[in-house]
Amino acid sequence: MSRSWVDAILAAGVVPASYVPDASLGRTDLEEFTGADPVEDPELRVHPLTGARALAPGAVGFLDGIEQWRVAGYAGVIPIVRAYVAAAIRLRGTDRRPRTVAEDAAELAITRLDRLSDAVCRALEGTGVRVLEISAEDAGQPARALPAARVEVQKARAALERRLAERRLSRLGADEWLVTDGVLSDSPELSAHPRALGVVKSHGAEYFDGPELERALTLPALHRTSVFRPKPRGARREIYSWYLRLWPWEGNDLLYGLLRVEARAHPDTIALASRISAWLVSERAPLATPDRRWDRLLYPIHDVETYLRARAPRDLFSPFGSRLPLPRTGS
Amino acid sequence: MIERRDPAPPPVGRVVATEQKPATPHQFHFWTANETTIGIGAIVRVEGLGAGDSGRVVYGVVTDGFAYSDLATPLHDVVGAEGDPARAAENPTVRQEIRLWTAAVLRQKPEEPLQPVPLGQVHVASDVDVAQALRMDGYLGGAEPSAIPVGLYTSGALEAPVYLDADFLLGPEAAHLNISGVSGLATKTSAVEFLLGSIFQHFPPHKGRIAAVCFNVKGPDLCFLDQPGALDDEDRRRYERLGVRPQPFELVRYFAPFKADGVNLNTLRTHPDLVGDVEPLVWGLEEVLDFAEVLLNRDDIDAKADAFIDFLSDRVLNKEFDDGFGGSHRVQTFADLDGLFRAIFDGLELTGRSDMWRTHHIATIRKVRNRLSNISTRCKGLVADDGPSNDLPWGSFEDRTVYVVDVANVDPLGQDLVFARVVSRLREGLERRELGVDAVVVFVDELNKYAPADGPDTYVKKMLLDISERGRYLGLVLFGAEQFRSQVHRRVVGNAGSQIYGRMDMDELATPAYQVLSPATKIKLATLPVGELMVRHPHFTQPIFVRFPRPPVLRGRDGVERFAPAADLPFAEAVARQLWRLDRTVRPNTVRDLVDGRDEQDVRRALAETRRRRPGDVLAYFRKVLGSRVAPDAAHERAAVPPLGVITDEPY
Repeated sequence: MSRSWVDAILAAGVVPASYVPDASLGRTDLEEFTGADPVEDPELRVHPLTGARALAPGAVGFLDGIEQWRVAGYAGVIPIVRAYVAAAIRLRGTDRRPRTVAEDAAELAITRLDRLSDAVCRALEGTGVRVLEISAEDAGQPARALPAARVEVQKARAALERRLAERRLSRLGADEWLVTDGVLSDSPELSAHPRALGVVKSHGAEYFDGPELERALTLPALHRTSVFRPKPRGARREIYSWYLRLWPWEGNDLLYGLLRVEARAHPDTIALASRISAWLVSERAPLATPDRRWDRLLYPIHDVETYLRARAPRDLFSPFGSRLPLPRTGS
Repeated sequence: MIERRDPAPPPVGRVVATEQKPATPHQFHFWTANETTIGIGAIVRVEGLGAGDSGRVVYGVVTDGFAYSDLATPLHDVVGAEGDPARAAENPTVRQEIRLWTAAVLRQKPEEPLQPVPLGQVHVASDVDVAQALRMDGYLGGAEPSAIPVGLYTSGALEAPVYLDADFLLGPEAAHLNISGVSGLATKTSAVEFLLGSIFQHFPPHKGRIAAVCFNVKGPDLCFLDQPGALDDEDRRRYERLGVRPQPFELVRYFAPFKADGVNLNTLRTHPDLVGDVEPLVWGLEEVLDFAEVLLNRDDIDAKADAFIDFLSDRVLNKEFDDGFGGSHRVQTFADLDGLFRAIFDGLELTGRSDMWRTHHIATIRKVRNRLSNISTRCKGLVADDGPSNDLPWGSFEDRTVYVVDVANVDPLGQDLVFARVVSRLREGLERRELGVDAVVVFVDELNKYAPADGPDTYVKKMLLDISERGRYLGLVLFGAEQFRSQVHRRVVGNAGSQIYGRMDMDELATPAYQVLSPATKIKLATLPVGELMVRHPHFTQPIFVRFPRPPVLRGRDGVERFAPAADLPFAEAVARQLWRLDRTVRPNTVRDLVDGRDEQDVRRALAETRRRRPGDVLAYFRKVLGSRVAPDAAHERAAVPPLGVITDEPY
């Protein structure tokens, strides 16, 4: 489908374009203060992991997703975006080699249909590509249309990941865990499952301030904070969470090597927090280099991403060559 | 022997090409799973599936392999393991790894147009694929198949027979085989023994009759070719797969010179059960004079001496010859020749007329006499002063017969003589089509010694060059072996159409002769196990590794243990043994009584004459010959000899 629907709309009069946005940084956390309630200690404290026996599940599934998009053409000033989202779960067993056990992918067109000519609309409909629409307000201004399209792509990717994870949960073995790249609280099933973990690398959400915030962000390496319960907002489900420092931040940045872990809101989570943390610390190696987020990116998650990128359509990546205008030929 | 291909076996790899490592018409790269049967030397088949490539099949042989992970820099592994190598092995996840292989193209089908290898699936080659890849399909079948099994190509669980083309191994298209390998790893001799057996069983009938002449130049290597060796089940299975019967050579004839005593054979095949098969190799003046150049030092034999030797050969040898002083000579032996020399010197001294005899200066004559007389001393046992010779059966060579000439314990000069004369006679016989066979394989070990890359141009080296360059037209095929190929004359090894390499020394592999091999192939060569070889053949565009079974003959080392060489016999016993070989009714005691008190030289002469004539009643004939020669010549008074004039350096 990838080229056919683009070819169809180009044939219908859409002007071809080749704008490729910067690579996705993945799903980000909420970027506002939400607050949290203590559940393990009366206030946020620091717990060393020394002596904690790492949890050692027999099998672990790692879930991640990717999104890629580019402007395929313009109908007037209305962009028509070609997007690709994919997600996969790679299961690591006793041989320590991840293998794909579930994956899904989708190709999308993102635009505003009522601003397109009938011919272009018919061309889109005729190809059967799934179309997501941006709002009429955003569609009017190209400067707002593209960020709006990016949000739609992110939503599509999150939905794909969630569906894949929820399907997998029903088949999770007794000694099998599922680790997702990002929050659990989007999904009722994930946030309630005893062997599901969310590993969050971005720290836009603010749960603490004052001394507790300082304690969280200056956490020494191989330490975790107390388990806390972020205050639920909107559709997000109740979960327990804690911070974990994988690498010393001194000499780098406050967020260097800092993860936030999400697990179900259950007393067992508090009991297992140190063992889960020790397990995640053991996942520091092998390093997820050359990814620039390697200080927080677990190698198996990096492996899923590598797998997905290897299977993604090649024409959605940034072109190697120049974007100088092509010489015109013919009359 | 070629098994059909299994239906649709799964692919084991996939061709990949990048700008840095593109696929070309002669080379391609592919990856496989980490656990794979593919290794250096494996033959693979690539099937083109994409547009324009459909139906295109490419066969290749793996020449190099690479493994790497997604590790950006080794330092990241150190950081991840916190400096502790033990912890690196405990990582919960194994890094992504790749097994990337480089393969050289063996064949493309269709062959035109020649295009880069398609980026298709890679399969392990089947029997049929191996035959196609190595272009063996051209000579495995048809009206006149000419395939000679050389070994089994092995990759994982797959085994496929590999064949050489007799037209390119034994002529006339190409010919000769060169074998290199370090000593002591059962490569060179074993490979030749196996291959000779295979040739004898598979030599195409339309090519006629074939024999082999093997020079045993060290120890007991080739002394037990008629005795069965130890084979295990794996060897037998390989023989069956190759279609070769695991049996020792049925027809083997051994030749060895005598020791200095002239009656005990100079070989390690002297066990009483076996020594009866060994025929003495004894040459006289006639056999030697044509090859005097081999024995005489070029530094002191000049054109004048050459001319005199030619004169002796043409005008004197085996003819009634008048010495010009009233004497008549018929020179047949070294003793006769010495008589002629003495007559010339005496005649010149008595007449005092000149320093010249028939245009030859007396100094030249003395020099030639001195050198020729020494030959029988230096090659004692091989060259007889007197009496008839005993030689290979020129003119009646038999089909599928191995003639072993054991010169292992012979003086190097004698080895050169044997080699030069035997090969020359083979050449003459094949040229005139009167040898008895249509093709002869000559096996010579230690080519480093006989045809060195540097050093003087000896007669033997010139002869080896001649065989290498022209032998294929005659059916004279050289199977040469050496430890260091780089030290053999490049025209000798270069003319070998087929080449076999056993385990090689790394220093040797570092020489320019091996620069066409990939580093991985060199490493494989340096670590080849016993029984595995690398083969190059005109039909194979790349070297191929094969395994061959142990030869079905008794190894020399085992042979001397099972058939321990006998100690030298006393003179009379040895004579009795020689006569007994001719006639099993001869009683040792009778012979002992007969030779008791006789001059040993007379006995040797009588023995040689008996051996030459092979009479019906051996003992009677021996008695007769011995009796007729024992009477001493009557002493005669010698006339006074007047002094010669002063001999100057100027002969003319």
